[in-house]
Amino acid sequence: MSVMDGDRLLIRAVRHGGPWATGLAAAALTASAADLLLPAALGAAVDAVLAPDGHPARWLAVAVGLLVLIAAAEILTDLAAGMSAARATARLRHALVGHIVALDLRVSRRYPPGDLVSRLVSQVPEAGGAAASVVLAGAALVPPLGSLVALTLIDPWLGGTFVGGLMVLALLMRTYVTDAAEATTSYQRTQSDIAARLTEALAGARTIGAAGTVEQEIARVLRPLPSLGRHGGRTWDTIGTAAARGAVVAPLLQLAVVAVAGLALTAGRLTPGALLAALQYAAIGAGLGSVVGVLGRIARARAGSGRIAEVLAAPTHRYGDADLPAGAGRLELRAVTVRTPEGADRPLLDRVDLVVPGGATLAVVGLSGSGKSTLAAVSGRLLDPDEGDVLLDGVPLRHLRAGVLRRAIGYAFARPVLIGDTVGAAIGLGPDSRAPDLLRADARAARVDAVVDRLPAGYDTPLRDAPLSGGEAQRLGVARALRAERLLVLDDATSSLDTVTEYEVYRALVGTADRRTRLVVTHRAGTAARADLVVWLDHGRVRGCAPHDALWPDPRYRALFQAGKG
Amino acid sequence: MIFALAFLRRHPRVLARLAGWSVLEALPAVLSGQAVARALDHGFLAGRPAAGLGWLGLLAAAILVGAVGTHRTFRCLADLAEPLRDELVEHVVAGTLRRAAIDGGGADRSAVARLTHQVEIVRDTFAGLIMTLRGFLFAITGALVGLASLAPVVALLVAAPLLAGLTVFVAALPRMAARQRAYVLADEDLADHAGRAFAGLRDIVACGAERRMAAEISVPVDAQAAAERAVVRMTATRGISLAVGGWLPLVVVLVATPWLVDRGLTAGAVLGSLIYLLHGVHPALNLLVGGLGGGGVRLVVTLDRILRASSAEPVVPGDPAARPDSADVTLRGVTFSYGRRAEPVVRGLDLDVRDGDHLAIIGPSGIGKSTLVGLLAGTLQPQQGEVRVGGERTGRLDVRTLARHRVLIPQEAYLFTGTLLDNLRYLRPDADVQDIDRAVEAVGLRAVVRRLGGYDAHVTPDALSAGERQLVALTRAYLSPARLVLLDEATCHLDAAGEARAEQAFAARPGALVVVAHRVSSALRASRILLLDGEAATLGTDNSLRGTSPLYRDLVGHWSVEPAGLLGDADRLQPVAGARLAQDR
Repeated sequence: MSVMDGDRLLIRAVRHGGPWATGLAAAALTASAADLLLPAALGAAVDAVLAPDGHPARWLAVAVGLLVLIAAAEILTDLAAGMSAARATARLRHALVGHIVALDLRVSRRYPPGDLVSRLVSQVPEAGGAAASVVLAGAALVPPLGSLVALTLIDPWLGGTFVGGLMVLALLMRTYVTDAAEATTSYQRTQSDIAARLTEALAGARTIGAAGTVEQEIARVLRPLPSLGRHGGRTWDTIGTAAARGAVVAPLLQLAVVAVAGLALTAGRLTPGALLAALQYAAIGAGLGSVVGVLGRIARARAGSGRIAEVLAAPTHRYGDADLPAGAGRLELRAVTVRTPEGADRPLLDRVDLVVPGGATLAVVGLSGSGKSTLAAVSGRLLDPDEGDVLLDGVPLRHLRAGVLRRAIGYAFARPVLIGDTVGAAIGLGPDSRAPDLLRADARAARVDAVVDRLPAGYDTPLRDAPLSGGEAQRLGVARALRAERLLVLDDATSSLDTVTEYEVYRALVGTADRRTRLVVTHRAGTAARADLVVWLDHGRVRGCAPHDALWPDPRYRALFQAGKG
Repeated sequence: MIFALAFLRRHPRVLARLAGWSVLEALPAVLSGQAVARALDHGFLAGRPAAGLGWLGLLAAAILVGAVGTHRTFRCLADLAEPLRDELVEHVVAGTLRRAAIDGGGADRSAVARLTHQVEIVRDTFAGLIMTLRGFLFAITGALVGLASLAPVVALLVAAPLLAGLTVFVAALPRMAARQRAYVLADEDLADHAGRAFAGLRDIVACGAERRMAAEISVPVDAQAAAERAVVRMTATRGISLAVGGWLPLVVVLVATPWLVDRGLTAGAVLGSLIYLLHGVHPALNLLVGGLGGGGVRLVVTLDRILRASSAEPVVPGDPAARPDSADVTLRGVTFSYGRRAEPVVRGLDLDVRDGDHLAIIGPSGIGKSTLVGLLAGTLQPQQGEVRVGGERTGRLDVRTLARHRVLIPQEAYLFTGTLLDNLRYLRPDADVQDIDRAVEAVGLRAVVRRLGGYDAHVTPDALSAGERQLVALTRAYLSPARLVLLDEATCHLDAAGEARAEQAFAARPGALVVVAHRVSSALRASRILLLDGEAATLGTDNSLRGTSPLYRDLVGHWSVEPAGLLGDADRLQPVAGARLAQDR
């Protein structure tokens, strides 16, 4: 996404800081100005004290006043920086969360969940701290640059010494060549080697537990550990070198300035107070290096807001404002075409026309990659077709209100992601909360009520404490979809169930009381046989649309159900 | 924290070295004021610039020596931080694996990644904390020693405000730590909530729960902001302690200078004193105040998290003297459930498995077949009743002893990166090539061995298909010395023919075989069938169950009406996101 969007967001983040951002600017500038004045005041005070006829009280009062001002301004700066960042961060996060959950699924598929979390948790604060970074960077430039001027004003030789010394030291430092990057890379590689071994062993936990080979496995996982220590030692050595360098540069620079000032002192051109001021200005000037750090923060803030702006600029689902007329859930696809994201390949769905009468069951079969899941996705508007229309009881899905659409159509997936604090909440995920007795009825219909009853705290069991097999998770996913009023889309949603359980779930769904339209993506012939109609997809096109018995004589149709054996 | 302190106590030598080099590092801090004072008084102000430059040269030399000290302190730091990290990694690996081996937990990749990340946080914050504390101690001591040698009165004037500033800081430390802790936890809570929601964006949209989820995540967002504001408010306290401890001494000394100069304090000594304050005391306090709050709390919180996440209950060692006299298993009145309120998975079950038996366990998914296998294998212990192997209660037996009598192969075949040979000999390290050849032929692994390039081929789990991995695990089990073989859907990724061959090999192997059936054909091959239906367990044969159990008739009948070829429809079990989901209990 463009840098422009990122910077616009950065400005928004600064504004989100509110009055704290203004206070921050005032405090930081005050602190900088006082910092710059303090050495001169200290020098003048020392000279006044040392002079036999001096009036030290006035200069001492100025110096003390400046110290108090600095202390107060620094406290205020920290407070304002923190508060503005907290405010801006929270507001950006609210905006980002609202946007992410509503993202168009074609877009959100491109972002791994961990990536979105890291944008929300780690990168928003960097953008949220934008106000602080910008203000502090501006304020941090004042003292070093000012001190260079001050040194030159005290004595031009001092300014010259400082600049000259800085250049000499910079040259000396360039001779250091560090292998920091290499050491870090080796370190991280060894680290992930250990993590990979651990993951591998954890995948075999039951085997290891039964074989009593835990200790042997621990030793195997830990085998690369000594080399981790070796690489780690090298990284510390690199850091130590850099630190030692830092411990030399600034002090030597100050010392050079003091030496030149000392000679001027002997020559009578300077006073002891001026020497003290020169030393202080040299120290502040050496702080120029820290400006680089602040500039780095701005760069990070820009990068952070760029990454957030990218997500915020991505399209979200847009809904219409239509309601559904009374109807039985008649689903109609008219010349539906869906292209691949790249657009180059042949389309995922190619001008598909289909009518499913209200209350009927349609099985969708085909080889993997033939477009079954895409068909399921467009049928309930998880995905909008590039061309053509999908209608439910005569109304195009994209005209429907969000609540109307989602209450009418329910989805169950092969790999449902269960979301919620408890198992009950996971079943009840929807536009609004679902009554407990309805939840239980859904669980019963999906043949998962017995599983939930066996959990430590039943429906209140925290999801993370519920040991669920793939089949159990699928059945919870089916239960979750059952609140749908007109159309149920089961996208391979019972694939992990053994045939018996699948049959039971299926029998519950096609019970006579159930009047909903059902669209079932399946690999199993038995499921196709029990559907009213089978649509056979081949490379995104409808190859056949008829009852199972009518298609069965075709050997290529039968071959669909024998493919993919291990 | 106790862990970190105990660790330091175990490394006194490194600490002594660290202290030694820190003294050297503090040399310029001790000398700075003195050198400048003498350079002025005996050099520049006395009309002897060469002497002045000499004193400054001495200070320059001290700075270079100090830099050597700085460099060396990092080596000492490496000798502390790296062993600490090693200990934590050992702790994490051992704890996670031991616990997983006991409760059969699956591979949670994200948990492993999290632990790795947390170990690194501890390593870095621990090192940072040591450097901060050490840096403060030696810098402030150096400055005070130098000041005392230059102008003892000034040192006395400085002591009081410095102590006051430190007291303010130390007194506020617990509150600061508490708030910082709340902040770190709020951050993690937010990441946790967002992570779970963002993993299911498709599901959220499909359920129309966008607004609800956004509202739910708003709660931790606001909580995090509140925690952050609470931390920020504490910066005022930090600023006050810095002002009192760092700036107030300067004010006191400044105000006292006219009086001190009257009492004979030289110009050089005045400057030297101010240098000690400006370049010694204030920066040292700044370092302490800035570095201690955040890093220290992060260390404590993270260390606590790691130790808790990877702690395993101590394994009660079995009685090595207890020796089963056979691999026969007896279950008497066995009841097992996964929680106090939970419905029992197995209730009051009696069962005998004798040498030569071939038993199949069937029932709908999630009914407790794997649990029953765990009880038979002795990896689970019943709440009521008893399970005996060869006359000994499984709970009393050492896991190694148990492993010599029975072998359990679960659905998820375990393969580790290494040679194929090491993988095959996993349960019998002394197996020779003839034994291995026999097992490979019997189970049907030959084609895989050939494809991989022989027994010495290096294999990684990802390089083999799920079915091939299962064949390796089956061959390994075939080779094991155990007489009782428990296959828990261990052939589900094989085709029907492959499954038949493997099961027949085990049936022909001396000893007993228990199979959790994924397909009805497995059950029909067995001599006895145990049917679980959630209410009761019924033991019988194909014939007797057809007569007595409507469920069995339903199962078998249903399976058999599927069009031909469907029995081989094996690959329906797909890997599922989140390994905890992948196991069937």
